[in-house]
Amino acid sequence: MKVRLPLLLVLITGIFGALPFLIPHHVIQTADNEFRNSVLVIIGAFSLVLGVGSIIRHHMDKVRRKREHWGYSWVLLISLLITSIIGLFGGIDGNGSLPTHIGNFHFDIQTIFIRMEVPLGATMFSILAFFMSSAAYRSFKARSFEATLLLLTAFIVMFGSVPLSAYLIPKLPHFAEWILTVPSTAAKRGMGFGIALGGLATSLKIILGIERGWLGGTK
Amino acid sequence: MSIWEKLTKIDRRYIYLMLLLVVMIPIIVPFKLHPKPMPPVENLFNAIDAIPPEKALVISVDYSPDTEPELHPMTYALLRHAFARHKKVGILCISLLGLGLAQDALSTVTNEFNSVATTHADSIINGRDYVFWGWQTMPLVPILGMGENIAKVFPVDYYGNKTDTLPMMKKIKNYNNVALLVSIAGGESPFWYITYAQTSFGVRIGVGSTAVMATDFYPYINSGQVTGMMSGMKGGAEYEELVLTKLGIKGRRKATEAMSSQTAAHLWIMLTIVLGNIGYFALRRRKK
Repeated sequence: MKVRLPLLLVLITGIFGALPFLIPHHVIQTADNEFRNSVLVIIGAFSLVLGVGSIIRHHMDKVRRKREHWGYSWVLLISLLITSIIGLFGGIDGNGSLPTHIGNFHFDIQTIFIRMEVPLGATMFSILAFFMSSAAYRSFKARSFEATLLLLTAFIVMFGSVPLSAYLIPKLPHFAEWILTVPSTAAKRGMGFGIALGGLATSLKIILGIERGWLGGTK
Repeated sequence: MSIWEKLTKIDRRYIYLMLLLVVMIPIIVPFKLHPKPMPPVENLFNAIDAIPPEKALVISVDYSPDTEPELHPMTYALLRHAFARHKKVGILCISLLGLGLAQDALSTVTNEFNSVATTHADSIINGRDYVFWGWQTMPLVPILGMGENIAKVFPVDYYGNKTDTLPMMKKIKNYNNVALLVSIAGGESPFWYITYAQTSFGVRIGVGSTAVMATDFYPYINSGQVTGMMSGMKGGAEYEELVLTKLGIKGRRKATEAMSSQTAAHLWIMLTIVLGNIGYFALRRRKK
């Protein structure tokens, strides 16, 4: 039963998910609307609760067992608690029941998000530029014909992507755009067909119960 | 160690330091470069310009803080364009983290317009000129649901107002009343809009994407499923240029400002690659 019930659920929901795209009959369409607007929203809300619960449990466990870097788990838990309280009761832009400013010092959820979350996130992502520059220097060597072609293409696209190129070689940005629009798109399209067919085959295997890895075992 | 060997083994710390300098210097001493808009950006601009008064532009803010520097200027530019032309705008978020960013862009741009507005008609008013629908769980729910009834998917807007009571929503019921939907994303949400909103309902789609993701959307531009696209900081800067030259709006152009740093960084990376290859070829010749 532990295996059959999830398999049956996947079979029914999998087929039902595809039907509305193939059958325009109003009974199917209405059922699909209800399923999407009610059932999916409820499942989504539960997954949010599950996600928050899971992250709290994981980090509480880390703190309790004093695992490596357990101090950071405290930072996460305290931040989660504080921002949740401010977010729930402080309202947007600090217009809720909870006071979210002391004089000119504002700590409403929007201010916290824009002044803390955004710079932190952007900083983490910007570090990639440093790794990319080092990796490009080390790996972009014209060792073969293919590597040379790749190198030249990268040069054209990189230089074509900056406004300076339009001043120096007016046609270069258009040539860079052509590379993206024609050869790159041709390759992408081929890959896209392959990925779509692979996805379709895997989906069918899951719906029909042939692929059972998602159950957490092979039996 | 010979000079050629040194060229192939530059310490990564020097590469990092130089990159930091070439990015920082143009921020401290800015030089503005005016980008030339490419066809995908021009097409997006023209599509928004051509939105009829009875239809709306929908902007889906689907990015998170990590891609904010690259994508946020696009949201600013789109809002400036739409409000300057008095187009109705609906805003939603597929990404939960997009909520704060959409709110930031909306409050900034509406303040810009309202600070110079002289009449009530000139002002940008919530509910009349734009509606911020907010976020709904599971991407497929809003993407497909908006094809039938937007107010059913978003019963209340981000500020807690009943959606169907807002003046703008009297005429904007579903995708039939949406002239263009622009998904600005660092991930794959434009694909969902192309697959479900465009294919099922025929709504026109625009894309604002990070530079690394842009190549994924070119096949859809060629097929006509995507009307126009802004790719990366360059795309944002090109759109800002169009907003400046065609509408005369002189708000802060963050993407254009950042293009000088990006230009310097690109040139530095290209230089390191050239140096590495010079060293590599010199060493190979010696070995022969």
